[in-house]
Amino acid sequence: MTFIGAGVAAIDFAGGGFYTVPFPFPALAGAEPPTLPPKLIRLRPAMMKCPSRALMTAFLVPALMWAADSRAQNAAPAPAAVPATALPAGVADVPSAAEQADVSQIEFGAVVRVEVDMLGANYRVPWNIGGTGSGVGTGFLVGKNQFLTNAHVISNARLIYIRKVDQPEPFPAKVLHVAHDCDLALLELIEPGDFKNFEKVTPLEIGGIPKLNTTVTAVGYPIGGDRISVTRGVVSRIDFRPYSHSAVDNHLTIQVDAAINPGNSGGPVLQDNKVVGVAFQGFSGAVAQNTAYMIPVPVVNRFLKDIQDGHYDNYVDLATSTIDLLNPAQRLALGLPNDGTGVMVVNADASSSAAKLLLTGDVLLAIDGHAIASDGFVEIEGERINLNEIVERKFAGDKVKIDIQREGTKKSIEVELRRFLPYLIQANLYEQKPQFVLFAGLQFQPLDRNMMEVFNIASMDVRYFFANYGDHELYRERPQVVVLTAVLPDEINTYLEGYVSHVVDSVNGQKIQRLQDIYDALKDGVAEKGHENFHVIRLLNEGRPLVLERNKAAEAHARILRKYNVSFDHYIEVPLIEQVMGKMPPIKEESPEAGKEAKPDDKADAPNGKPPGAAKPE
Amino acid sequence: MKNSFRLLASTLLLTLALVTGSLSAQEKTQPAGAEGPSPSNSLVRVNATLQAYNFLRPWEKGNPTPRRGLGALLSGGRVLVTAELVVNSTYIELELPTTGEKTPARIVGLDYEANLALLAPVDEKSQMLAKMVPFELDLSVKAPDTISVWQVEDNGDGVSTDLDVLRATVGEYFVSGSILLVYQVKGSLQYRANSFTLPAVRNNKLVGLLLSYDSKELTSSLLPAPIIQHFLDDLKDGKYDGFPSIGLGFAQTLDDQFRKFTGLEQVKGGVFVRNVAKEGSAAKAGIEEGDVIVKIASKEIDSRGNYAHPIYGKLNFSHLVRGDAKVGDTLKFDLIRKGKPLTVDVKLERREPGSYLIDPYMFDRGPRYLIFGGLIFQELTRPYLESWGKDWPTRAPFNLVYSNANPEKYEQQGREKLVFLSQVLRTPATLGYENLNSVVVDKVDGKPIKTLADLADALNGVTLNGLHKIELEDYPRLIWVHDGVSRKVNDQLLGYGIGSLTRLE
Repeated sequence: MTFIGAGVAAIDFAGGGFYTVPFPFPALAGAEPPTLPPKLIRLRPAMMKCPSRALMTAFLVPALMWAADSRAQNAAPAPAAVPATALPAGVADVPSAAEQADVSQIEFGAVVRVEVDMLGANYRVPWNIGGTGSGVGTGFLVGKNQFLTNAHVISNARLIYIRKVDQPEPFPAKVLHVAHDCDLALLELIEPGDFKNFEKVTPLEIGGIPKLNTTVTAVGYPIGGDRISVTRGVVSRIDFRPYSHSAVDNHLTIQVDAAINPGNSGGPVLQDNKVVGVAFQGFSGAVAQNTAYMIPVPVVNRFLKDIQDGHYDNYVDLATSTIDLLNPAQRLALGLPNDGTGVMVVNADASSSAAKLLLTGDVLLAIDGHAIASDGFVEIEGERINLNEIVERKFAGDKVKIDIQREGTKKSIEVELRRFLPYLIQANLYEQKPQFVLFAGLQFQPLDRNMMEVFNIASMDVRYFFANYGDHELYRERPQVVVLTAVLPDEINTYLEGYVSHVVDSVNGQKIQRLQDIYDALKDGVAEKGHENFHVIRLLNEGRPLVLERNKAAEAHARILRKYNVSFDHYIEVPLIEQVMGKMPPIKEESPEAGKEAKPDDKADAPNGKPPGAAKPE
Repeated sequence: MKNSFRLLASTLLLTLALVTGSLSAQEKTQPAGAEGPSPSNSLVRVNATLQAYNFLRPWEKGNPTPRRGLGALLSGGRVLVTAELVVNSTYIELELPTTGEKTPARIVGLDYEANLALLAPVDEKSQMLAKMVPFELDLSVKAPDTISVWQVEDNGDGVSTDLDVLRATVGEYFVSGSILLVYQVKGSLQYRANSFTLPAVRNNKLVGLLLSYDSKELTSSLLPAPIIQHFLDDLKDGKYDGFPSIGLGFAQTLDDQFRKFTGLEQVKGGVFVRNVAKEGSAAKAGIEEGDVIVKIASKEIDSRGNYAHPIYGKLNFSHLVRGDAKVGDTLKFDLIRKGKPLTVDVKLERREPGSYLIDPYMFDRGPRYLIFGGLIFQELTRPYLESWGKDWPTRAPFNLVYSNANPEKYEQQGREKLVFLSQVLRTPATLGYENLNSVVVDKVDGKPIKTLADLADALNGVTLNGLHKIELEDYPRLIWVHDGVSRKVNDQLLGYGIGSLTRLE
């Protein structure tokens, strides 16, 4: 994975298996870096978008944990760009007696080895299963038959086994809850009877945020041997960082210099025999030394609290970008004194919690009573932390109070928080069954990061949708951006191979806003007016429609399914964004994109054709 | 397969640019008693020093680099070379291969799209070329003729290498997107010091200039004599018009289903118009997306887009409307629109590169820029994007790459050029803005920015509170800079070695 702006790769510590065994996921192994919009390279000041807008920078080198090592080789070393501003003074150099505790006091019985067999998804041949593999991570007992580990340890798992430190037999386990946005998961043993082996084990207690320069101990099953391993180091830094598992999320992390290696993932990091973090990612040695990260207690506790109602509801988001107010000209223009406070709102996404409540040019002065500094930091429990942390600790439906100054007038607003999904198009997705529609050899798939990586699409339009789906609110018009990803050659489509990687605009006169629309539009009885004998597929920014003769298409479809061993010809789900956010009305204002897309689908019927000015040669 | 259509489509959309010098049209006859052309008495070494502008640091020019090639002497004491040999040149000299005598030269005719330049000694009285034998052109070469490429050894001796012409086709020259006639030839060539441009001859007549050589495949492409003739003819009246461009992209119509769909069942051949460039020759003539072109100037266009050329055989129709046509020519297009035949007359035109929102190429001049307090504003050009190297479409800032491919939105806003904040130098005036880059500028102090000159005017205007308000298309949308502080900083930047804060011409 890479981190914001720094262009530095970090790796997940998923397990020795992940790290050393080539992982034959077609979808993942050896995937080229996607042709992601380099615009995202931009270094931007702290933004409070999804915990991550700025982080999307990270994705140029994707965080495939199995391939992370090789990627890291190409990564540039981190520029020393992180301001060392937040170190509280007077932290004791010498660890306390408790911190020096003998490791034998650690409840090793609570730290388990998590062995996983995996089955990936196959985005290239979506009716086939993906590659298989296995890996090892660490987990620990946090309650009765509840083992905490990383989401990335058990993602795409087909079988999970938990092994105790002092017993040979593996116990089958399953996932109770998984949070891909903060890389945590809770497992339980499938056979309640198996838990008797743990009945004498005391679950590990969750502690707090450790102080800088205090000693911590990591326990787990990293590479280098089969038995449990203990390493020790100090807390190096507490900061808001990207989580490489999803590649779009940013949460609080704690950096430690204890040796944390592949296989440590999901293992506890302890201080005073209490859990102060869950080991989860770090840099390859080629990039930075002794730099490992753990998920800190606020994130762990939030996850555990979130699932108390029986399901995980994900993080909420203000989906608002801001700019620091360091420039005296900005402050003068906004009528602010030079007191180092406040950040300016750049944009609140129109479908976010803060839409219409926060406007471009508003100055954010305080959030839930925490004064906001002009670099976007607030003070929480003595630490300077990105102001997002206030939102981070809340849940869907919670409110956050924001003091703002709008056109010189101070006021206070309340924002009810909810999840913001559009950025998920750029996220690594797990446990997905690839969606597709195959018709007469034409393979249609919705745009997402997994698909982008597999097909390595260079098409400008597809990259545009991928990069701007959230920012330009393209999801309103196209909750799913459907792309012609492949053509299975047959006499019916032999001239169409050159049109792959285009966005599908309409099929048989029906606007394509989601994959289901294609499936429906290809049914009998749906036709473009005047072209009843054809299936007509119109691609975005492509004047040449793809046409199939109806009387031949059905036969060809059956033939192609047979020849290419296609076991099923479509798999469609309601897009998550519509499941969660409902159907969204298109934006009112005529954006140029909307203008383009509004071009008549069946222009053959337009009485006078289009005015020449409306033609869009691209 | 489709890629090549694409390529062609984009080229056809491009118009040509050109820089002309005045041509001294004093035609002289070949000196009496001279022998016929030979490498040693018809080739001239051309030594050029090139210095490109730096588009990322627009106040700078890059490293001066030497480039050497061979020019072909034409009548009137003019020397023909590829434009690429003298692109962004700061100094050009002609050298006699036999004696080593040199004289400074100037460009008297230039067309980057056709990759041709005509040179003459700066000193009009120079007699250096007087005793040499000028070439005539031979326009009749076709496959499978044999031609010779002429080179010169260090000592001035000529070398001739035979190559076989494989075919005539259309291809890209130097400026990307500009497609014209090329000969594909085969045979091995030896590298020598002046190899940048090499003349090719047959029967001692010039048949073309070598454009490229692939030492692995032993194939070369040749800029052919008909294009050279077009260039020379065009220069004669002192007003160079260049090669016209049709301004449309097309798709083949081999697919029977597609032919039925388009109403071509009773028609032979034809190509489908995929897109039409606004302001292009085709658009002005009323050609629309979805039309099928079946004939141009009474020549049938087949479903691949070829016509039967009397010499070369099957050739892409782009030659008919570009290489073989002149600006101002009118060609009759036979179309099928919605199944019905239709005829339109297309007057062929050409657009200057500077008339585009985003200049497709820019040579011999620097990009426009303006530095204000450390904010660097520029007008977007394709060469700016190409500064990211060969992979610029994926490496350059995506929003700018996308704008380059889709300029219509900005054209509709009435912009003449796309002004953007390219980068920010860290100064007291730009505190907090250091990481901003590649954002399009919408307004300054409320005034829409259609050119960089508009931006300069706005920043010179009266300010509110001594501040300038800069509205940007994208993040962070809105910044302010202090006028007084910025001007002080400007002075310091000059002191730090930024030679000039603006180039607006």
